[in-house]
Amino acid sequence: MLINKVYVCLIYLISSILLTLAGRDFYQILGVSRSASTNEIKKAYRKLAKALHPDKNQDDPDASQKFQDLGAAYEALSDPEKRELYDRCGEECLKKDGMMNNNDPFASFFGDFGFHFGGE
Amino acid sequence: MVGIGIDLGTTSSCVAVWKKGTVEVITNEQGNRTTPSFVAFTPRERLIGEAAKNQATSNATNTIFGAKRLIGRRYDDVAVQMDLRHWPFEVINDKGKPKIIVCYKNQRKAFAPEEISAMILFRMKEVAELYLKRKVNDVVITVPAYFNDSQRQATRTAGVIAGFNVLRIVNEPTAAALAYGFDRNIKSEKNVLIYDLGGGTLDVSILTISRGPVYEVKSTAGNTRLGGEDFDNRLAAYFAEDFKKRYGEEIISNAKAFRRLKVAAERVKRFLTSAAEATLQIESLYNDLDYTGKVTRSLFEELCSDLFLDTIKYVEQALKEARMKKRDINDIILVGGSTRIPKIRRLVQEYFDGRAIRSTVNPEEAVACGAAIQAAILCGERHKKIQDLLLVDVVPLSLGVETARGMMYKIIDRNTPIPCRQTKDLTTLEDYQRSMTIEVFEGERALTRDNNLLGVFELDNIPPAPRGIAIVDITFDIDANGILSVYAQDRSTGNRNGLVVTNEHRLNQQEINKMVEEAEAFKEEDTENKRRLEVRNQLEGYVYSVKQTVTENIEMLSVKEISTLTKECKEAIEWLELNPDCLREEYERKMSELLTHWSLIMRRFNCNRHTAKRQRSENTEVNDAAIEEVENNE
Repeated sequence: MLINKVYVCLIYLISSILLTLAGRDFYQILGVSRSASTNEIKKAYRKLAKALHPDKNQDDPDASQKFQDLGAAYEALSDPEKRELYDRCGEECLKKDGMMNNNDPFASFFGDFGFHFGGE
Repeated sequence: MVGIGIDLGTTSSCVAVWKKGTVEVITNEQGNRTTPSFVAFTPRERLIGEAAKNQATSNATNTIFGAKRLIGRRYDDVAVQMDLRHWPFEVINDKGKPKIIVCYKNQRKAFAPEEISAMILFRMKEVAELYLKRKVNDVVITVPAYFNDSQRQATRTAGVIAGFNVLRIVNEPTAAALAYGFDRNIKSEKNVLIYDLGGGTLDVSILTISRGPVYEVKSTAGNTRLGGEDFDNRLAAYFAEDFKKRYGEEIISNAKAFRRLKVAAERVKRFLTSAAEATLQIESLYNDLDYTGKVTRSLFEELCSDLFLDTIKYVEQALKEARMKKRDINDIILVGGSTRIPKIRRLVQEYFDGRAIRSTVNPEEAVACGAAIQAAILCGERHKKIQDLLLVDVVPLSLGVETARGMMYKIIDRNTPIPCRQTKDLTTLEDYQRSMTIEVFEGERALTRDNNLLGVFELDNIPPAPRGIAIVDITFDIDANGILSVYAQDRSTGNRNGLVVTNEHRLNQQEINKMVEEAEAFKEEDTENKRRLEVRNQLEGYVYSVKQTVTENIEMLSVKEISTLTKECKEAIEWLELNPDCLREEYERKMSELLTHWSLIMRRFNCNRHTAKRQRSENTEVNDAAIEEVENNE
């Protein structure tokens, strides 16, 4: 019994970690299908922006975060390149996307694996 | 709740308010819709606005202007150093921050640029309160879209010092777009380019306006030190050179003469907007030499041609960043006083292949109007014209952290809609590194040393591991007010640290509190000064009215009385002339002294006038009764 409970907890924990690692579902945030056109995405964004913007929801402390999710979703899906990346491997890919654009000529030489080094 | 919008400009400021479905620009006591952003200090008082600008030439070293060019900058900033050469007032280096030195009431005083801006904001507050006949606390202040974080924070601080609750700092071109779209029924999507060239700054913004209306800023480019003042300086330098050629005298180093030349140059520039040629005449400009200079419009255009052409670069940049072509732009809107220059209009028009330019918005007032609309929305105004209006602005400059070899690693790219949040990974640079210093920067340059440092914090207790193994998530969060918070979280331990970027690296809370107190003291001094002058005026008015009454009623007085009264009046007037600024109490004492002294005789006149009036209305002969009454009074 106890072991069972532990297992349940463990599974729950792992799945929640996986979920956060996998990132947010941008299509769900925008309320569009995965095959939606850029125009549909734009329309959905504007409609939701009006409803979710913190200026329109000054009493809701979570409004800022809701709008930030929407903004991230729109940013990723309205750009064909970013959308392709997102479709392939989720938000985690977009996080690293910055690295490739980073024009540090020594990055590969020193063997950075797509991570950035903080100062010591 | 009333909120006002203030366009805090380099050379002039404007205030507007939302009123029953429209926006109104508030005129100041002088009847002008804009107020010069000037503050002056004299041995007697502090002057703001028109009064300060009017005495600028005679009090050049104590008349402050262009505080917007200093706000939020460091003293050693190259741009600040460039400006110092043009300014007649003294600016010192106070621990890296510029401070303006003035002589006020015969004492040397140092002011931060925030305090000077606060005085201008305070003046605008007074103008609004006088018009609305109530206290105004909430405000939306505009800044150039290309202002960086410290300039924005410093402007916000200025608002706080002036006694405002700053609802939002809004970008000038965005505000202008709100004013543009306000009276239009937007049905289909429209791309609008705002070209905003003011007294000191240039901004170019591209917005998409769609049904709702929803205003989305697509891109922003600009230069925070390019504007009308630079054109004035070019003209003034030209005249100074001409003066030197003719008379062999250097006048640039003479603050007063150069200031006069600059004021005249500005007038010439304005004149050249409509005229093809302008003449400048200044009597005894320097060493009793009169100066007459002539300049044609084409010469003026020639003098400033590189600056004019420079502005087009920013239009190109804005288009590129919005990923748009020239033909994607539906409307071009020019705002800012400097867009009245014909050459500027022509250049922009030529760039857009001769397309017509919108001149439906007033270039000087559009920004303040937009700010007032945003203030109304943030105050919860539910008018049908704005209830569905939404403004989504963008981050003006990229934000990131320093990584190996001083590289800038961007976390949030510029032109990302606000509010926004981004998380990226960082890792350790050395084997078994235990802590990480996170330095937050703002700017577009590849190396952080060329960018603007916003804040620093440490993340400790990273579990020892070979380099590149430990992962730290860096999150940048910008809220609707544009306030940036940065968090770092160690992924393996969940250990986290962070900071909220505020103005504290420039002015700490203590300093701000002190400035607020000082502003309050100034306010009291100002009101006291106003009261003092009012009492003085009353006194003066009273003396003259007595004098007048005596001459009017000369037949009622004996010769002796006439001579005493005339003498007393003369003495009182002399006393006033000798004491132009003594304390209010002294004026009041003098007033009561004269009032008691003259009361008897004045009452006699009053009664007489009274009876005379009655006489006229009744049209009967009651002369005897009137005399009796007068005698009774005595």
